[in-house]
Amino acid sequence: MVGKRKRDTSVVSRSTTKEEEDAPPAVADTSAHDVFRKFFEAQFEPIEAPEEAVDEESDEAEETGSDGEGSDFESGSEWSGVSGEGEESEVEVIEHRDASSSEHLASKKARKAFMSSKLPSLAEKPTAVKRAPTKEKEDDDPKEADNLKHDLALQRLLKESHLLEDASDLAPTGKNRLKALDLRMQELGAKSSLYHQKMPSAHRRGIKAKAETKEDKRRRDARENGIILEKPAHKKNKSSSGHRERGVGGPSVGKFAGGTLNLSKSDIFSVKGKALAGRKKPSRGKPKGRR
Amino acid sequence: MATSQPPVRFTSHKNFVWRLVFSVLTGRTIQISQIRPSSTNPGLAPHEISFLRLIESVTNGSQMEISYTGTILVFKPGLITGSAPGNGASGGVIHHQLPPNCSRGVSYFLVPLCLLAPFSKAPIRVLFSGPGVITSSTPTGDMSVDSVRTAILPLYNQFGIFNNIELRVLRRSNPGPNGKGGGGEVQLVFGHQVRLAKTLHMLNAGRIKRIRGVAYSVGTSGSNNARMIETARGILNPLSPDTYVFSDMSSAPLVDAPDKTNAAAKKKIGLGFGLSLVAESSTGCLYSADVACPPSGGQPPEDIGKQCAYQLLETISKGGCVAPAAAPTMLGLMTMGTEDVGRLQLGREVVGDESVIQLARDLTKFGCPGWGLRDASDDNTTSDVIVSVVGRGIGNVGRKVA
Repeated sequence: MVGKRKRDTSVVSRSTTKEEEDAPPAVADTSAHDVFRKFFEAQFEPIEAPEEAVDEESDEAEETGSDGEGSDFESGSEWSGVSGEGEESEVEVIEHRDASSSEHLASKKARKAFMSSKLPSLAEKPTAVKRAPTKEKEDDDPKEADNLKHDLALQRLLKESHLLEDASDLAPTGKNRLKALDLRMQELGAKSSLYHQKMPSAHRRGIKAKAETKEDKRRRDARENGIILEKPAHKKNKSSSGHRERGVGGPSVGKFAGGTLNLSKSDIFSVKGKALAGRKKPSRGKPKGRR
Repeated sequence: MATSQPPVRFTSHKNFVWRLVFSVLTGRTIQISQIRPSSTNPGLAPHEISFLRLIESVTNGSQMEISYTGTILVFKPGLITGSAPGNGASGGVIHHQLPPNCSRGVSYFLVPLCLLAPFSKAPIRVLFSGPGVITSSTPTGDMSVDSVRTAILPLYNQFGIFNNIELRVLRRSNPGPNGKGGGGEVQLVFGHQVRLAKTLHMLNAGRIKRIRGVAYSVGTSGSNNARMIETARGILNPLSPDTYVFSDMSSAPLVDAPDKTNAAAKKKIGLGFGLSLVAESSTGCLYSADVACPPSGGQPPEDIGKQCAYQLLETISKGGCVAPAAAPTMLGLMTMGTEDVGRLQLGREVVGDESVIQLARDLTKFGCPGWGLRDASDDNTTSDVIVSVVGRGIGNVGRKVA
């Protein structure tokens, strides 16, 4: 029912928009009605009651038509036509259901709050409205913003100066730019450097050793040439300096696994000590196992 | 202390769970006789046995004796230990299996267990599983788990018990064929233990400010939810504009159904749909209503929605601050409170309910002081009754120090 009505109005309104400019829409409409009525009467019996309704509407139409609001009137005429039908036939009950309306009304957030396994927080908190930063402040002192920018640039220069190759170009480029970005990310809380790759430990040790020799050589050269360098970075205490924290109640010697206490050669050596001291130590590699 | 006292004697199977709960809370031995003596199925029902097992698993040192026919039970309670490790709990969770011939919803177990939980020694974590877990409301009169979560558990807040309470519905299920069995899974976490519940004075029911609800559909079309919601809203929205019902649709649970050819066969169980509605008043009172489709089917969702909405209105119309379904919980917590008089306004019909009167009689048998009843208003503006309950002031035996 509803759908039909909608379609009708749309069709009529289209016709009016066409005729709005040159002729009053009411006249055109009545003439169209006349044509249809004549056709209908030729086919069937002449009709009385609806004729009046049409005439009334045409009067109305002339009034509203002078205002130049054709579409409003058109929809009005359609409505009265429907009500005219209703008067004759019995009362029609239309149940309007709109299944989708109930769903989207409840917001996703409310649903989450209510349907979670926690007790529903019946006292809903007012949603925190995020306020956009006011532009007035920025407009207030452009100098301040400028200063902040310069400050940031200075800080970056200080932190990343070791990456710079040329004094004329203060922004690192290429590989160095990536390194600088990596540094900034670490500063912002990245867990590890992007350049910290996974590799065999022997490989890593080799890289470390190479870096150390390089650094040594640089320092030596500088010293020989009388150049004063920055102080060497404080070396961290090696965590694997012999002793490791163990759980309370564990064995003080050896390794407890599978219900047996496993003692490696070095464990036995550490206990017996003197007795084995005379024997030749294995020269190759470190003794395996924990102390 | 309990050993010297003679057992408290009860008869009939009525109020079974609450008798057991108060036996544990007061530490008194009970003897229940004449349990369905003249029934064709005499003795304890499967769900009652299952509840006994549940009590046994959350307590330490409980002893029970059941007569040969099952019509007499002697129960000697132990301490409520909760889900302490090494006491039937694996990984801090007690797994409780419900038998396939269980016809009661899981709320039958949950609501009494929640009354024990605040007075336990350790947090209580129980996972209900097995072929008998029905999460929806049942024809036997149990509420759905959604109502437990949204209408019963928030009440503990008024007694100062609110931390770390969760009720997870891991899998939903309606009652199976003939109203027996289901394949749901529910986990209760009750992590707030107190020594004594706070004294409660609740005398103003306020006015309904919002209505919330859950429509669930298990293994049936999701449009059932929309239809239930639509009808319920059609009735409730003109009365309370703040009405939202959320919809939850899930597939049917599978339970083991081994046959001769296939030992690992499974079958779908517990199809259906239902609606749970909760109304909250401006003073924090909660009223709930629960309707689910009957296990035999044949009822359109519109009817369910309508019934549920009317049931909610009826519950509210009974008056008072507490819905009938929550009355045992509230009165029980007030009894376990400090040695002080708490007052609670109840509708006349709620007080006059058979189960509430039975509860009052049982409590006096357990040695709790009787309730004081008086009319709420002298000029007959309401028909409500104010119930004054004196707390026992003993509270949690498992927690020696407050």
